[in-house]
Amino acid sequence: MSDEEFRGEVRAFLEQALTKEIRRAGELMTSVFADFDATMAWHKILHARGWIAPDWPEAYGGTGWSLNQRYIFQEECKLANAPALLPMGLQMLGPMLIHYGTEEQKNYYLPRILSGEDVWCQGYSEPGAGSDLASLTTSAVRDGDDYVINGSKIWTSYAQHSNRIFCLVRTSKEGPPQAGISFILVDMDARGLTVDPIVGLDGTVEQCQVFFEDVRVPAANLVGAENQGWEVAKYLLEFERGGHNFTIDHKKQMAKIMRQANSQYGPDHNLWINNPVFRAKFADVAVDALALEFTELRIKGDLQAGGNPGALSSLTKVMGTEIGQRFNELSLEVMGDHALVKQLDALTPGYDGEVIGPLCGLTTMAEYINNRAATIYGGSAEIQRDIIAKRVLGL
Amino acid sequence: MFIEYSEEQTMLRDSAEKYLRDNYTFERRQAVVNSEQGFSKEAWQTFADLGWLAMTFREESGGFGGGALETLLLCEQFGKYLVVEPYLESIVLVGGLIEAGAHPSVREEYLGRLLSGELQGAPAYLESANVADPLRVETTAQPFGGGFLINGSKTVVVNGPEADLFLVSARTGGTTANSRQGISLFLLERETPGLSWKNYKTYDGRSACELQLHNVKVDAESVVGRIGDAYKFSAPIMSRAIVAVCAEAVGAMDALLSATVEYSKQRKQFGQPISRFQVLRHRMADMYMEVELTRSLLLATAWKLDSGAPDAQQCLIALKAKVGKAGRFVAHNAIQLHGGIGTTDELSVGHYFKRLAAIGVMFGSRDSYLARYFQS
Repeated sequence: MSDEEFRGEVRAFLEQALTKEIRRAGELMTSVFADFDATMAWHKILHARGWIAPDWPEAYGGTGWSLNQRYIFQEECKLANAPALLPMGLQMLGPMLIHYGTEEQKNYYLPRILSGEDVWCQGYSEPGAGSDLASLTTSAVRDGDDYVINGSKIWTSYAQHSNRIFCLVRTSKEGPPQAGISFILVDMDARGLTVDPIVGLDGTVEQCQVFFEDVRVPAANLVGAENQGWEVAKYLLEFERGGHNFTIDHKKQMAKIMRQANSQYGPDHNLWINNPVFRAKFADVAVDALALEFTELRIKGDLQAGGNPGALSSLTKVMGTEIGQRFNELSLEVMGDHALVKQLDALTPGYDGEVIGPLCGLTTMAEYINNRAATIYGGSAEIQRDIIAKRVLGL
Repeated sequence: MFIEYSEEQTMLRDSAEKYLRDNYTFERRQAVVNSEQGFSKEAWQTFADLGWLAMTFREESGGFGGGALETLLLCEQFGKYLVVEPYLESIVLVGGLIEAGAHPSVREEYLGRLLSGELQGAPAYLESANVADPLRVETTAQPFGGGFLINGSKTVVVNGPEADLFLVSARTGGTTANSRQGISLFLLERETPGLSWKNYKTYDGRSACELQLHNVKVDAESVVGRIGDAYKFSAPIMSRAIVAVCAEAVGAMDALLSATVEYSKQRKQFGQPISRFQVLRHRMADMYMEVELTRSLLLATAWKLDSGAPDAQQCLIALKAKVGKAGRFVAHNAIQLHGGIGTTDELSVGHYFKRLAAIGVMFGSRDSYLARYFQS
């Protein structure tokens, strides 16, 4: 099948499979996450079609698509406003388990990730361990066939919706901090585990803090050997950073700003689109976005040739998120006071009431606010620059 | 899906890299730049002998059929080694335009000798009122006895002092000073009566001149391209020239980044190599990202030009704008991180800086490309 035929098949499927409400959830995204219920509804539709995990090996439920086809699928889904799927199971834990998990772990967990029966969250950061992840202190002490966990994890996205959490825990204080970390899978309904929501700047809850008080977890839930968790964690982080395609997001952002600039008036009774300052600023960001697009294609070319994106994934993480933030700022400039109106109900997919102000500005402020996190999560922009300095430049 | 170099292309890049690394040292370059000569005749002859000058010309012109990618591969190395020889002026522009549109007898007479290194060419298209707007041509060419009579003056004619041939733009029609129609190109030998010049050096180590044309008589065969059509006719060659300077810029930025990284490891302050300071590490990471983003745009643009992609021009505009910004960022920070020594004539760093500053404004500055981004 040619790439264009494949694209046609994907489009035809999206056309009939994406309900109005699910599509609306995609349109109303103001961060990397969409409305939870709509996200899981879409997850189940894709699972039924067999297209839920294109990046997984075919033997584990992948689609067997080429790299190009996977790219096309991702692009078409975003352009059709499909809500983003939750990455914690599909993009992070799944590939990691395929690489490091035991047969029992793979047989049990992978199908449940695919079906959406399990919803995972990521227990990495702690109140005292952010960029310096290896300084984490949540402890797991062996007691018979169990580990007993005490401590706390923070910035656990969608923990309030999750039934499982994968965690980095300290199993030893000997040697360098990286050497005493293990990777463990925990049921959220275990006794002693509690979840506190954290209200974000836009007034909604995406993040949580998870507390562990003498939480008992079977030792069989360890992934990799005891004290070998750091290697497992790093493998997973590379998927978290490298798997994202920023170009498609930027193209959507640009299209939205064009709609805004073509309908909103700037100074001197002129549409923003005719304002020379706006045009120069937009061109400036668009040039960088185009340069990043070709950089992503270079990485894809390297991957196709069997190479490793390596530190170029740090480059795309930094530039992709910073370019996205610059577009957010431009959008805010254009929408002006309209962006101030806080109408969270109108941001839910089922809402059919009145919207205050222009529809094209409904998400502007929330996107702007929420996207500040983009240069923090998944290894902050500063950590990525550290990685480039060390691994690429040999400093 | 994306660029893969052929074996020949990889060989071209590697052999250019090796030759220049072994032979084109900064010291030798500076000796030439500081001499009366604009460039090394010996180096130029070697470039010709290695086949570089003919690389991007058609086989029937005596070339090897290369395209924008080959231009890129060569010019990136020229940038890396600060080559001052007039490849851009004599080969890409004058050679390219002669091949594209000179009268067959004129092409026969000059092109082979340009590509063999025997002759030198200089494009003379800038005027004092038009450096940002190539359409504002005030030099005139009026019909005269079956040929033309040219009057006017040209500024910053790079390679002018060494040129045997000038390629001059002049108005043969058009009602306004900046009409796209009515500009024509003429090929003139240096000995043509009515030409006079004033030679000087440029900050980036080139030789150049101001060129006066006073009642210069030329025959009809000296017109390159169709009469009045120079703007459209020369566009593909100008695109190639922009790729050439942008590739040079990427080579130069690459060299600056390596030099800065190395220097930061050697230089000690406060009892440790300055490469240990995070503010400098991050600056160098930013330099790296600017170089790689520019490289991606460069590769894509050359590839799109060669394959005739519809968005090639848009990419070219983005590329030139990006080179302006990245070139400054990388050069400024290379100097900043080198400290005082970076501001001296002695070190190569400042010479890369000056070349990048020149490339930044050649063929239109960054701001002029940002302004064009929406129009294309």
